[in-house]
Amino acid sequence: MNKKQIRPQDGENNIEVWEDLVHIKDLVLSIVICTVITLGAYLIAPNEPPKPLINGLIGAVIGFVISSIVIKPKRTLRFAEEREE
Amino acid sequence: MELTLILEMITASVIGAVLYTIIGIAPGTDETAVLAPVTLVLVLSGFEPIVILAFFISAIVAKKLTDSIPVAIAGIPGGVMSAPMVEHAMVLKKHGMPEVSIRKMASGSVIGTFIAVPMSLLLANLIIPLADVITQYSNQIFLGGAIFLALMSKNRWVSLLSIIPFAFLIQGLRIAYWETGIVPEDVTVFTSFFLGITIGPVILKLAELLSGKVRRQLPRYGLKEIVLKKTKTEKGFPNPFKILDRKEIGTTSFSSILGVLTFFMSPVGMTIFLGETLTSRIKDPVKKATRAISSMDGLTNAAYISGTLIPLIAIGLPLSPTAIGPGGALFNAPPVFTPENNIHHMLSTGDFIVATVIGAFVAITITFYVTIKYAQQICAFVFRYVPHEAMLGLFFGLVIMLAFMDAGIVNVAGVLVVALVAGFLHRRGVNYGVQFMTLYAAPWLISVFIPGL
Repeated sequence: MNKKQIRPQDGENNIEVWEDLVHIKDLVLSIVICTVITLGAYLIAPNEPPKPLINGLIGAVIGFVISSIVIKPKRTLRFAEEREE
Repeated sequence: MELTLILEMITASVIGAVLYTIIGIAPGTDETAVLAPVTLVLVLSGFEPIVILAFFISAIVAKKLTDSIPVAIAGIPGGVMSAPMVEHAMVLKKHGMPEVSIRKMASGSVIGTFIAVPMSLLLANLIIPLADVITQYSNQIFLGGAIFLALMSKNRWVSLLSIIPFAFLIQGLRIAYWETGIVPEDVTVFTSFFLGITIGPVILKLAELLSGKVRRQLPRYGLKEIVLKKTKTEKGFPNPFKILDRKEIGTTSFSSILGVLTFFMSPVGMTIFLGETLTSRIKDPVKKATRAISSMDGLTNAAYISGTLIPLIAIGLPLSPTAIGPGGALFNAPPVFTPENNIHHMLSTGDFIVATVIGAFVAITITFYVTIKYAQQICAFVFRYVPHEAMLGLFFGLVIMLAFMDAGIVNVAGVLVVALVAGFLHRRGVNYGVQFMTLYAAPWLISVFIPGL
């Protein structure tokens, strides 16, 4: 989980997609990771009905986890004490 | 009923509740986009229909319980449905009581669920006698539904105008697939078009990013700053009836009942409308806000459950915005479910009751408890470790896989076309409801123009 300061705070570089902020390069990376693993898992499965799909689903989850580890969320979290405001 | 089946249902419900507790909290997750693909995959994987239903009910209850958490804590809607609550939640946040918001909203959800489950079963049984007539005219009803939803939406003329061209696009692709022999003549590609519509707005946005000119013009942001307030952890098991006062319970119950009765309407519209009318006379801003959020949350929950269950039990066709959107896979997921043979036909009334009660009970027990106790910790975890990019990537990957499964590589392109058009229409104000109704009405609508197809 060492993704605190991988990328320098490169100013204003994020755009909004679907109500939250993303970095374009990271988004492309995540889409590629997820699609390749999902489709790859689907294709290598034996060709008996539910198996490719279940494989693909597992692949999707793996892709999701890998993306989550590689990419840092574009949010900062600050805890405020209760007395504030 | 066999014990193993009940255990399977409980397991599926637990998985659904845990998964959608997390997804619910992640900002910006649209109900249709996150519920439909996963349900679809489960259906196609060949799980028992009753297990899938339990999963689905648990998933919606959990998602609806948690998507209001980021609203309360950070003012970010966790889903489309919680957007109307932002304003009221911000009032409470300003008064330094975000945890009050969460507890009131979650309790509202629980009441909504308690009311919606028995009422939906009852109302469905009242509609059953009409089911034959409704089924017979289903094509016309879908077209009527598209027109009705178009007229009810903000951009009604664009919505109305989009129906026929969009139907031509969908049916045109299907005919092309048949002519070229990509799919056999008796197979109608449905699932992947459905998902194409679902993910349309995102695909359009991504496509625009390919253009350097657009990319440079887009507003740029730094990091999204989210401020959380430290709160104390609750002790013991929370009781929703103690968290809400008597008036709040009254308003919440009333709006939940209305939510069930208007199951065929758009839940977001009803939430905004009722939430405002029921609380407009309250002066104290804090009281007004707590009353509004508890009743809105009750209503959305009730509308979601009834919108899924009533059409499912009574008719077997997705005749409500919820059924046609998030619950779409329960009605039509060829080859497992078709409009002539889906969960409606496979389960008995007893099965419906068992699956719904197990799903709702598991989700409420797990999610309500967790929500009230650990809302802040979960929020912090999701905001800190789950990047938005990974969520988008996950759904993109799923859609591509399902498109490929439906009709090979050509259909990946086909789905992208559908998604781009759907995304464009969505941006111009044509909502999901209109597009999904059009998807269902397309074969019949086109055969009216071109007889013999």
